[in-house]
Formats: sequence, C-alpha cells, structure tokens
Amino acid sequence: RAAMAAAGGEQQQMLTQRLKAAVHYTVGCLCQEVEEDKDVQFSKQSIAAISEITFRQCEIFAKDLEMFARHAKRTTVTTEDVKLLARRSKSLLKYITQKSEELASSNMEQKEKK
Amino acid sequence: HPFLSPQDTVDRLLRLHFRDGRTRGTGAAAGGPGRAGPCRAPASRNRLVLAVNADAQLLMAELLKVFVREAAARAARQAQAEDLNKVDIEQLEKVLPQLLLDF
Repeated sequence: RAAMAAAGGEQQQMLTQRLKAAVHYTVGCLCQEVEEDKDVQFSKQSIAAISEITFRQCEIFAKDLEMFARHAKRTTVTTEDVKLLARRSKSLLKYITQKSEELASSNMEQKEKK
Repeated sequence: HPFLSPQDTVDRLLRLHFRDGRTRGTGAAAGGPGRAGPCRAPASRNRLVLAVNADAQLLMAELLKVFVREAAARAARQAQAEDLNKVDIEQLEKVLPQLLLDF
C-alpha cells in the first residue's frame, strides 16, 4: 500500500515537473516579447526566477479560486471567481472584466451559429 | 514543445493546488489497484470544488500572462533605471514585493 502511495507521489511529481516546464516555456516566450519591446535582455536566471514565482503564485490563485467558489456555494470555478482575484487593482480588474465579456460574447456567437 | 494546450496547462496547474482535489487524488491512488491515474471520488460525498469552467480557464490564462508580463516589464524598467541592458535576479528581487502586493 505504501508502494502504491509512493507511485502516486511519483506520478504527482512528474506532473509537477511537466507543468513547471510548460510554465517556464511560456514565460520564456513572454519575456522575449518584453525584450523586443523594451530593448533589454533577460538573463537565464531571471527567466527561471519569474517562472518559479509564477508557479508559486498559481498556488495562491488556485486556493483563492477554490475558496471563492465554495463561498458562493458552487462546485465549479467560474469567471466571476477569476474577476475577484483581480479585485485589488482597478486597471487589472477592468482588463479582466473586458476579457471576460469578450469570451462571453464569442460564446453567444458560437451558439447562434449552431 | 511537447506540452499541453494553454487551457489544459492552466486547468492542471490549478487542480494541482486545489486542496480538496489533491486529498481526493492521493486517496484514490492509495486504495484503488488497477485504476490508472488519479481517480475522483463521487461528487455527492462532499460537495467541493470539482472543476474549472472553460471560460474561467481562458480568463485565468489571461491573468497569468498579465502577471508574467508585469513581472518582466517591471524588472526591465528597474534594469533601465540602473543603466543596465541586462535584467538579472537582482532587478527582479527589487520589484518583487510590490508585484506580489498588486496581485
């Protein structure tokens, strides 16, 4: 039974590594955009650090989303919960709300097509 | 890159940290021989957060992108303020506290 649990843990660890790699890759792409935009260079270590920070921030985001959904007695995380994450910054909230409306309206269009 | 779609990545990233999801996952792995992958317990047993809606996944992907761009842009600005054209850990460390307070 312990072996099974260990195998589960190993699987979990592999998934974590894979996700970290995915985050690192995307962060690299985004940093490249900023490099071109601002005419600076990012050291490898600084990109790795941003990835690690982002990965850890995900934990905070996930736990908040979970609590927000439960607070609303829902079992599914919705865009409303994501909007709550962005509540601290006015401009961020505005941006996220706008994106959310775009998503909602593109969903409507797709439904109409069907 | 041999990875998941952005939406899938976000979904898995979030699920990795959902407290209730994780306890369910390990429990199933320990007690269920022959079952592949983490299994989910019946939803009726305890009504907890089970899923992330598709729009919410896309919106989270957007929020995470904003987070990364902010981190990168602030560190870049810090480097330029110090007359450097290479951003290193030091510059990132300087902008980190405010970044985390803003999110």
